Amino acid sequence: MEYALEVKALRKEYPGFTLRDVSFALPPGHIMGLIGPNGAGKTTVIKLILNIVRRTSGEIKVFGLDNLAREEEVKSRTGFVLDEPPFYGYLKVDGIASAVAPFYETWDGARFKELCREFELPAARRVNAFSRGMKMKLALAVALSHGAELILLDEPTSGLDPVFRRELLERLSGLIQDDRTSVLFSTHITSDLERVADYITCLREGDLVFSASRDEILEKWAIVKGALELLGGETAKLLQSVIRGPYGFTALTADKEEARRRLAGRGAAIERIRLDDLVFFLGREGRREEEAARE
Amino acid sequence: MHKLLRLEYIFNRRQVLIVLAIFTVYFAYLAGRIGSPRLFIIITSLMVGLSIPFVILGREDRFKTAALICSLPVRRSTVVLAKYAASWIAIGLGMGYALLLAAIIPFSKISVGDILTAKALVVSVLLISLFLSVILPFTVRFGLTGIIIFLVGAQLLGILAHVLVQLLGGARNPLRVVFRAAEGGLRLLLTHEGTPGFLLTLLAAAILVNAASLFISRALYARRDL
Repeated sequence: MEYALEVKALRKEYPGFTLRDVSFALPPGHIMGLIGPNGAGKTTVIKLILNIVRRTSGEIKVFGLDNLAREEEVKSRTGFVLDEPPFYGYLKVDGIASAVAPFYETWDGARFKELCREFELPAARRVNAFSRGMKMKLALAVALSHGAELILLDEPTSGLDPVFRRELLERLSGLIQDDRTSVLFSTHITSDLERVADYITCLREGDLVFSASRDEILEKWAIVKGALELLGGETAKLLQSVIRGPYGFTALTADKEEARRRLAGRGAAIERIRLDDLVFFLGREGRREEEAARE
Repeated sequence: MHKLLRLEYIFNRRQVLIVLAIFTVYFAYLAGRIGSPRLFIIITSLMVGLSIPFVILGREDRFKTAALICSLPVRRSTVVLAKYAASWIAIGLGMGYALLLAAIIPFSKISVGDILTAKALVVSVLLISLFLSVILPFTVRFGLTGIIIFLVGAQLLGILAHVLVQLLGGARNPLRVVFRAAEGGLRLLLTHEGTPGFLLTLLAAAILVNAASLFISRALYARRDL
């Protein structure tokens, strides 16, 4: 099967941070959400795909093509929104479009104008007068105006009002209906992912925690609540990110069925997890490991 | 590459115009004060050669637009080539503008006819090339920080050289020998008859220097994380 995006053992070393051997694959016509606490490596992954930063090792294939060896072809079929849309402030919307359009053979000027109208981007104002949300919308308009088959979005919903955020998510869902276009987007707002993502990849401190379909994740992971006495022995292996309280514990498990089999009969509650909880627990565990390493 | 040149033009035209407007006053002042066409061409070459890359590359760093440019369907090596080409085009326009000013300003002491000779132009190209070949790899690799590193480094080296000359003393100390060689080379450039062979050699040297600088810049830019 030819994936829209295939990442294998991707590694990037920075002083003080290493993205370690991350692998995942996004089939065509699907949306993948990239989640994780701050500093997990989400932006680095997107920048590596765009070759804005140089990988230390690993492989990235977009539509089956190596993203370095076939850089121009890959990028001409890819739309992107970076976390800080980089535009010269004194330019207006038309100026940005006229600078970028010639790079894409499939640039659709009419569509760009239509998107600018829909996004209520004022043509007469300079970009430096735009809010962060408006700059995001402008970057989105550019990304969606050349028929890109892979759309990479780094925190696209941050700075957007809830109404537009919902509209954007609906638009992304609409885009993949052709079974050809795929979307990878990183976000902190996990409720967005629950709404639209087919696949979810979770990173923590540069490590891949999981990459699977949303349903599979919600099927396998769960929150376990129970009495402190349950924490000993074999049970500990089943649980992660344990929060101890005076009356019991709350923890995460990656094996819901096994947890249910072993603990449900002993008074523990196995609750359905939300992505938000998952990021919270994993982020908390990451911080705790970091503190332990410092000590 | 023409798409990148167009993009650089759209992104930087206003700032280049502002720089040229500031230089209008300075070039007019120079044209009225300096009688030597040779000195005029050297000073204006260096001024334009210094400022234009600063404007283009420094702004790119400030607004982080390098990430935008490198995300477009274009190879990094082409991006660097376009930066060199844009710098040279801007320098050519800046030089043309300086000469135009020297020609039309009523109080100008410069005879433009003396400058518009093959020798004067080739010597200017070589001088600018020497300058750009050092500064562009710095700015391409380190952006605005590179410009600052270059300027501060050059100042420190100058101070160090001056101190060493004072300390070492004597006409035969190695630094004086280096300075004399540089001075002699510059004098040769300016006073040589300007035979076709000499000019072709200078032109070849300028091309070689630019090519070497471009090669280094491409290698540095390929390793740059944006």
